[in-house]
Amino acid sequence: MNSSALIHALLDGVLTGSLYALMATGLTLIFGVMNIINIAQGILVILGAYLSYTLSVHFGIDLFAGLVITIPTLFLVGIVVERLFMARLKEPERTSMSILVTYAVALIIEGGLNMIYSINIVQLGAWYVDRSFRIFGLWIPYIYMFGFFLAVALLGALYFMLYRTRFGASIRASMADQTAAALIGINVKRVSTICFGLGVAVTAAGGMVYGATNAFNASTSYDLISRLLTIIVLGGMGSLGGALLAAIFMVTLGDVIAVVWSPIWSTPTFFFVLVIVLSLRPQGLFGKQSTRVA
Amino acid sequence: MKRKGTFLRTLGVTSVALASLTMMTTSGGASSNGGIAKGAPVTIGISLSLSGDFSADGNAFKQGYELWAASVNAHGGLLGHHVNLNIKNDASTVPQAITNYQSLISLNHVNLTFGPFSSLLSLPAGKAVGRYGYAMIEGAGGAPSVFQAGLHNLFDVSMPVKDALVPFAQWIASLPASKRPTTAAYVTTNDAFTEPQIPVAKKIISAAGVKTSYYSVFPAETTDYTPIADAVAAAKAQIVILGSVDVPTVSAFMQAFEQAHYSPKVFIATGGPDQGSAFTSVVGLKNADGMMVPNAWYGSATTPGSAAMVAAYVKKFGGSASTISADVAEAYSVGQVAAEAVIATKGFDNAKIIRYLHSATGLSTVQGPVKFNALGENNSSTGFTFQWQGKHFVQVNPVKDKGSKPVLFPKPVWGS
Amino acid sequence: MSKLKPSLWTLALVVFAIFPLIVTNPTFTTIAVFTLLFMACTTSWNMFSGYSGYVSLGSAIFYGCGAYTMALVSTHAHMAGGEAQFWLVPLAGLVAMVVAIPVGAVALRVRRHTFVVITIALFFVFQLLAINFSFTGGAAGISLPLIPWLFNYYNLPFYYVALGLVIFATLLSAGVRRSRFGLQLLAIRDDEDRALGLGVRVTAVKLTGFTMSAFTIGMAGALYAMFIGQIYPQFVFDPTFDITVALMAFFGGFGTLLGPLLGGLILESSQQYLTLTFTNGSLYLILFGVLFLLVILFMPQGIVVRVSQLWAQRNRRRETPLTPDAVAAMGVGH
Repeated sequence: MNSSALIHALLDGVLTGSLYALMATGLTLIFGVMNIINIAQGILVILGAYLSYTLSVHFGIDLFAGLVITIPTLFLVGIVVERLFMARLKEPERTSMSILVTYAVALIIEGGLNMIYSINIVQLGAWYVDRSFRIFGLWIPYIYMFGFFLAVALLGALYFMLYRTRFGASIRASMADQTAAALIGINVKRVSTICFGLGVAVTAAGGMVYGATNAFNASTSYDLISRLLTIIVLGGMGSLGGALLAAIFMVTLGDVIAVVWSPIWSTPTFFFVLVIVLSLRPQGLFGKQSTRVA
Repeated sequence: MKRKGTFLRTLGVTSVALASLTMMTTSGGASSNGGIAKGAPVTIGISLSLSGDFSADGNAFKQGYELWAASVNAHGGLLGHHVNLNIKNDASTVPQAITNYQSLISLNHVNLTFGPFSSLLSLPAGKAVGRYGYAMIEGAGGAPSVFQAGLHNLFDVSMPVKDALVPFAQWIASLPASKRPTTAAYVTTNDAFTEPQIPVAKKIISAAGVKTSYYSVFPAETTDYTPIADAVAAAKAQIVILGSVDVPTVSAFMQAFEQAHYSPKVFIATGGPDQGSAFTSVVGLKNADGMMVPNAWYGSATTPGSAAMVAAYVKKFGGSASTISADVAEAYSVGQVAAEAVIATKGFDNAKIIRYLHSATGLSTVQGPVKFNALGENNSSTGFTFQWQGKHFVQVNPVKDKGSKPVLFPKPVWGS
Repeated sequence: MSKLKPSLWTLALVVFAIFPLIVTNPTFTTIAVFTLLFMACTTSWNMFSGYSGYVSLGSAIFYGCGAYTMALVSTHAHMAGGEAQFWLVPLAGLVAMVVAIPVGAVALRVRRHTFVVITIALFFVFQLLAINFSFTGGAAGISLPLIPWLFNYYNLPFYYVALGLVIFATLLSAGVRRSRFGLQLLAIRDDEDRALGLGVRVTAVKLTGFTMSAFTIGMAGALYAMFIGQIYPQFVFDPTFDITVALMAFFGGFGTLLGPLLGGLILESSQQYLTLTFTNGSLYLILFGVLFLLVILFMPQGIVVRVSQLWAQRNRRRETPLTPDAVAAMGVGH
């Protein structure tokens, strides 16, 4: 096994991992603030991909430029879903109920996408999807590089908003303790709604890059959501930094194992590591230690 | 309190429920005999994957079955009876396929049953309809595991998959040493359809002196093929033999190879490039150029009925001979074999049809001649290798076959 | 609170017992067999997850182990297809229980939200092992010996054995509910730390409950394998099975006795019937999702709880209103 293949695997892992980090961050943000597990996150990524597809194929708009439209669109979708369904979830078994509700929403969206786009597999195309550039003797596809920068930019914007703005402070307050946040005058409901919208909006970007690097249709969402869930659990549910690290770790580990050993063992190895980490640190790498069980 | 009233009320409700259930019942008799009134239509029951994992192939199969039925009806029907198809969706799952066939036979009283898509569904479906004495004629269940079950009523009209790559491997072996590639990479998904094909090809190719520079099996549920494709590219083999079942897999590998600026001299995939426009629309004609795939049929085949089928397809669905998926021909062949059996046994008696099919010689379909062995395998079919050359999908192997054109070798570099 | 009188349970039992004798069409009895299997799994799942609050999305691990036990033993022991295979069903249940011990030991160390996801992860490990190990037949799966029964008889033995499983699971679940062990599980659901503080051996209780629920699920898997005659790793280790079992329990009533039964009955039979009737796969998905959503939103604690709430409301309205005169007449008050 030669070392350039290993380096290539590591690099691929970081670049692709950033994409999964973007998608997982939305998921973990929603959980952190609202204690909701959004199973529909997978299909929403695909929705984002299909939106980019329509803009690109039917209107000739470039994939990255189209984000100006798809991100706000998905933000609105998130707000609508939250107002209609999530807000109605009451406290007993709220998290478990959210799994059911979001699963039902995912089914509906999947059916709708199948009806509009049919089950045919598609992939987003552009000049930078097929071409690559050479660096340190390795070929790196342009789309991976662009996707990486996009992920970094969006994650950076998210962090900036969370840690440097007042609104971000109210989000963090709600994550820490909803009751206390309400007591000091934060409109927890509004924060939750916007958070859900944000968590969904990032899937537009994630979806575009995913759709450019994978051939997809509506049923691709199942595999996606199980990966995203395991990422946020490993990173610690509610921790954004955790989601980023866990995503890059998962993808890189899988890529390296594929090169060093065999692709068959990529996923089992990751799950194995996950199980070990959770046995030693049940809250995940950076999750909050749960005292009273929710 | 109101105990008595509650009890009586519940009893009443239950009786009504039972009564309505009874009215819903029809006796579960399956008429396996051929006694059909003159002029009455016959119905063929089929469960297909119209949604779920196999939906792309399931829909192509549906087209094939429908084309066949239309062709039969245009020529006066089957023994004078108009043919209707009753197609149900099994969502690519086994329990639904079983329920569908049971319902088709015992509720809809279909006369014959045709197969679903894929070896995974054909076998349990075959067992289920076998209990009613029905024949299961199918075109997509060719994995060795299907035949190992030893079902007496199951007939696969398509070529058994194990030897699909043999014509290709023999072509490689037959090349003169100066032209023959020296290294080969084998990479396949761990699927019952693809896995058995690779060792057979590897044996022939290695015996000809081609070194194996890479061999790996990857999980069927992989979504990110880049690391695997990168590893194959790093091996810089001159031949790539990819065990794939669908277009997304092939397309992902092709894309990763292009990004790695790796262009093998020969590239064959076991499934995907044979799906006509479903393949070229995803990868683009330029990239498809030179891609090879084994199968038993292609758009320009000259087997009996093929040209007519292609013409009918283009008329109904548009496109051209090269854009038609091979699945369509598989489904069409199922219909042809069934028709031949019905005509030969002069009726729709499944028991007679099963006996006939086991002994029949001289069956012919758009995929070529058909002869079943005791296990239901068609070991009379010839496998071919096809290749995309420009806009056209042409036959290239076996080299000595008169329908074969010269192989486009080496494969053009990506995108050029 | 047991909501139904015993006479109603008996009535239901009678109806189920005579159903296949009245509705003889194999299509409906096939749907019935699948439905009963789900009812048994859901009840068994609820016995642990519903009572303890630890939602497991890995029950397919046990279903798959049970199915593979049935398949592997049937083929390696060269059994003839038929009655003899039914004896393997309890064996499959035992195998599933044995598997549940290490799985539970690992998974139950974490708290609830993480538990959900770790069960998913463990499930995928099992699925991948099933696909990749050769003794399990790999991706080609295993074909069971052909059962020579005719179409009009075939479903009956499976129906009654499946019904037996449902009865067994229900009795077990009811028994646990009324026992001290059940109280401990419920205490864990209400407040695990307090239960721990009160002396409940939380880890042992959770593990026992988890293992017990695996037993019936394993048996159901074995029955499924025998019924279909062919198993593939991705179908018996099926992630949608995990979610479906949980959904059925929630739909009917999480934590209740009747709930999982009702959920399994309604959802499975309607899903099979809808797919049978509506060929268009996408429409069916949307309908199913909408139906689901409506039930969850308007009956968030499941049908059983909602219905009993409505029933209680109705009863309250029929009682005599509390006016001062009425109270005085009761001889109470000031």
